[in-house]
Amino acid sequence: MSARSGPGRRVRRLVVGLLAGVLLFPAGCGIPAETDVQVDGSVPVAEPGSLNGPPASPPAPTDSDEPVPFIENYLRAAAAGERDQAYARARTFLAGEARNQLPGKPQTSEIELTVVRLRAKESTPLNNEGTSTVRLKVQQIGVLGADGTLGPPEATETEYVFELRRAEPPGSGLLITRLPNVLLTSDSALREFYRQHKVYFWNSDQTRLVPDLRYLPAVPAERLVTEVVKWLAGGPSDWLRPGVTGLPDRTRPINNATGGNSQWEVNLDMPGANEERLARLGTQLAWSLPGLTGQLDLKIQNQKRFSVDLARERTEHDAYPRGVDPTRFSVYDGVIHPLALASERRGSVPLLATENRNVVSASIAHADEQVLAAMVVTGPDRRLRLKVGTGLDPVAVFNSNAATFGTMSRPTWLRSLDGAHPAGLVAADGKLYRFDGAAGLSPVPLNVAGKVVAVAGSLDGHRITLVSGGAVYVAPVNVDGGVVSLGQPRRLPTVLTGVTAADWISEDQLVLAGNDPDRRPVIHQVSVDGVFDSPLKNDIGSAVVTQLAGYPGSGDRGLPAFSFMYEANGAAYQNNPFGFIKRQQVLDLPAGSRVVNPTAPFFLY
Amino acid sequence: MVTASLPDPPTHASRRLHAVRALRRDLVGRSVRFVAGVRQAWRRSLQVRVVTITLVASSLLVGGFAYLIADKITNILLENAQTDVRLRLNNGSEYAAKQFNLYSQPQEAQLQDTIDGTVNYLAGGDPAQTSGVVVAITADNFAEFIEPRVSPDVPVRSVIGDELRSAVASGKVAHRIRTGALGGERTKYLVYGSPVPTKFGQVELYYLVPLARQDATAADARATVVATGVALVLLLGLLAALVTRLVVTPVRVAARTAQRLSAGLLDQRMVVSGEDDLALLAASFNQMATNLQRQILRLEEMSRLQRRFTSDVSHELRTPLTTVRMAADLIFTERDGFEPAVARSAELLQAELDRFEELLTDLLEISRFDAGFAVLDSEPTDLVPVVHRVTERLAGLAERVGVAIELDLPGTPVIAEVDPRRVERVLRNLVGNAVEHGEAKPVRITLGMDQSAVAVTVRDHGVGLKPGEEKLVFNRFWRADPSRARQTGGTGLGLSISLEDARLHGGWLEAWGAPGQGAQFRLTLPARAGDRLTTSPLRLVPADATLPFGGPRDGGLLAIGPGSGAGALAIGPADTEPAEVRP
Repeated sequence: MSARSGPGRRVRRLVVGLLAGVLLFPAGCGIPAETDVQVDGSVPVAEPGSLNGPPASPPAPTDSDEPVPFIENYLRAAAAGERDQAYARARTFLAGEARNQLPGKPQTSEIELTVVRLRAKESTPLNNEGTSTVRLKVQQIGVLGADGTLGPPEATETEYVFELRRAEPPGSGLLITRLPNVLLTSDSALREFYRQHKVYFWNSDQTRLVPDLRYLPAVPAERLVTEVVKWLAGGPSDWLRPGVTGLPDRTRPINNATGGNSQWEVNLDMPGANEERLARLGTQLAWSLPGLTGQLDLKIQNQKRFSVDLARERTEHDAYPRGVDPTRFSVYDGVIHPLALASERRGSVPLLATENRNVVSASIAHADEQVLAAMVVTGPDRRLRLKVGTGLDPVAVFNSNAATFGTMSRPTWLRSLDGAHPAGLVAADGKLYRFDGAAGLSPVPLNVAGKVVAVAGSLDGHRITLVSGGAVYVAPVNVDGGVVSLGQPRRLPTVLTGVTAADWISEDQLVLAGNDPDRRPVIHQVSVDGVFDSPLKNDIGSAVVTQLAGYPGSGDRGLPAFSFMYEANGAAYQNNPFGFIKRQQVLDLPAGSRVVNPTAPFFLY
Repeated sequence: MVTASLPDPPTHASRRLHAVRALRRDLVGRSVRFVAGVRQAWRRSLQVRVVTITLVASSLLVGGFAYLIADKITNILLENAQTDVRLRLNNGSEYAAKQFNLYSQPQEAQLQDTIDGTVNYLAGGDPAQTSGVVVAITADNFAEFIEPRVSPDVPVRSVIGDELRSAVASGKVAHRIRTGALGGERTKYLVYGSPVPTKFGQVELYYLVPLARQDATAADARATVVATGVALVLLLGLLAALVTRLVVTPVRVAARTAQRLSAGLLDQRMVVSGEDDLALLAASFNQMATNLQRQILRLEEMSRLQRRFTSDVSHELRTPLTTVRMAADLIFTERDGFEPAVARSAELLQAELDRFEELLTDLLEISRFDAGFAVLDSEPTDLVPVVHRVTERLAGLAERVGVAIELDLPGTPVIAEVDPRRVERVLRNLVGNAVEHGEAKPVRITLGMDQSAVAVTVRDHGVGLKPGEEKLVFNRFWRADPSRARQTGGTGLGLSISLEDARLHGGWLEAWGAPGQGAQFRLTLPARAGDRLTTSPLRLVPADATLPFGGPRDGGLLAIGPGSGAGALAIGPADTEPAEVRP
């Protein structure tokens, strides 16, 4: 018995142990509550690389210890770099006691830069206490918003006063002790640190893309796509809004657009996205990213829905009809004649010769196969009336409006309209009128001061510029169901006064004729928001420019870019090169015609 | 009933202590009884053993399989989750890298926005969605520029843990499982971390995926496996029980039948049903029983006939013997007138007739025993006078052979419920034998008693007994040396009759002897008729005997009992049972 009990006990213990193990096993083989760290692999360390276009280094307070350059640097600082840190950069110029005169760190969307154009800078030299006052005479240009648009100016100040003192320790520069409590920057700083970038929005019937000018801060090129998508999602600039349509409501980009090497990817949250909308967005993006080529994938909620080849899209889908290759015309002795300048292409007058009489000024446009001709003609009573004819070349049927006016501007065609309902604008006797293909005139209510003396439509047909009371305005045009309506005109802050004529010279540039601050007639080129204002021709004599015609298309259509012609003192002039348009350059002159100057030059395109 | 007296605290406590002790005793008692019961069941029941072994073996097997399966399922679930998360992590890391590639400085303002957007995007866009997955991006190297972002916004730092952070910070993709409460109940999280390379350095992307679903599935699978396993084990146990029962029941029946058979119920038989092995067993058993019964009956009959024959022969011899006796007595009384040779013959005749008569008497007595007619006529008797009587009767013989009879009797009466006639016959036989084989050396008679038994030993110092003869001496007509002449003319049946007498009393008659050391016989009888003997008041082996080996262990008893071979007597240290010779 005792000989058996030893192994028996061992066996029993073993059995009991195994049984316990079996019964306890559910506790043993679940998902553990905690494990050690297990390494699955490693990720190669990214090589620190610089992106394209390293941002220019912002001006520092120590860059200058002269009051005026110091303040100029201060104005540059806000624009020099990322918008989000504009306040931080500006505050480095402030003395400690002045810091609270600028807001601390506002939300990104609240950061607005007040852009001014410096007209005069004067300063008192540093006195014994080491302080100085700088007075800046400025012209308010606008407010640079979070979406890169330059809105109309909110402030009306024409002078800003800064007080400076020496920084501690002496010799380490200056600091601002008193300043206006807006974040100021200058137009030159804007030009220095931002670049203009056009994004395109569809018009209301989704047939044309209308450019919208934005300002892109110094961001790496890789972020351009992201910024453009954000802008597009954010909708058009306020002033342009009545003329165009934005993306569907609640469209927003999901994170950054990514890519590179001709392969881009944009992820969007877009309600109601369908093939058609995405195709339109693709075209919009292709035109809004003119520098990019390659493929851009549109993802909606992470699903790839549309792919667009940017370069091909631009080739295949014009933003808007570019018209025919431009040719020059002018009025010679009441008759429209083509001009022959240098080796440029020469046109022929697409009108029946019998109708080409008594012309004062004219506007002829091509719309598809149709020719739209609007002329201001003189009647027997020497008064002016509008004569409009549409049809195939040559236009034979003309209608004249019975109304007569003492003064009439050169008419302009709104090129956005379909051939069935051509429409144009003309200023007559200081008022703006709309006309149609049958020369029917109807006044356009306009909320601007002064007399309207000139009006011109853009190539896309959804923006016009008009000159009224010596000031120049831009306004959006909306064509909704064949009814033309104008949005609220926006006055451009230009250095010119007494503007007499204006026309489009590119998608986002206007050519203006007016007086410069020294009261000399000049011709300036002004961006569509008034920021860029540069002279094109300073010495045009003392004559007033009565008519101005620009070619807004690009330079690849047989004319140099930024070509314009004007009429002053009863004569016609051209640029590229500047010169008087001579009689010999007028074609098809009948033998024995009077010797006069050609007048009212215009481009047919 | 109202008991007004407050309970006395110490009394109360001690009462409670008592109660606790009692309870513990009770429990211990119960458990001891239970263990004993279990042990007994284990030893006695084949069914219990088979079922237990089946249960244990199948538990181990099924448990092992269940463990493997449950472990496998858990691993598969975990691996799937890991593959999933790994994939998400890779995609997320790639996506984040693309997003962050637009920035070359950690302090760029839009980077933080991008991190926010990326985290939200990777977490599924809508922070309110409760998929439970938590995505975090940290930038430990650029803590002053970049705030860590988590979506949904819960504190994950503790769940991620420093080890994982340092592993990921060193450029490794790593994972671990951690338990933590992220805005809810504690959950196991699979935490994956991956560095995201950027142009300005490295940020870290973490995915925290709750394993609640996998855990629940694993628990379900485990429960199912366990339930199935338990059911299987129980089923196997039941099956084993049934099968064993099928086998054991006939075996039990056979055992019972065999028991009854051995108890003398020879006509017991098993029920034969069917044609299987058990039926064969039953049939064979029955056949065996029948054969045994026949043999036993035949032997009984033969034995009966033999005894009858002995008895009859004895009776039949008695009548002519009486006649011969009378004639012989006449001749014997007249022998003086005969020639010496004739007178000597008459004397011889008389002596042989005496022996013949004794032999007949003994034969009759034996046949009475054999026939089962012997009846005990017991009465309380003082054994001291009986011993005296026997020694007086044998004094003449003793004197003749020069043997001194020594008595060692207690001073007080030794009262026992015995049949005095039979006890006297036994003692007479023993003492007579001792005197006869005493070889002129003293014979010692010792009487002893205790509460339950009385004993008489008779010691001689004759030639003694050879090993194995202790048992043979009680055989009928057995002689130690067949060539040796009988001096006293014993019949050869005396010790057999004495043994039967002792048995009739429920007592023992035992012998000890060693060559050259003489022999000792011991009669032990229960003090009260019908009692069962356990010990004897006197030793069987005399104190002066030298044993062939070292003797009994200290304080131990010496056993003389049946040896392994036929007729062999084993002498050795006593076992727990008292020394006893059961001829």
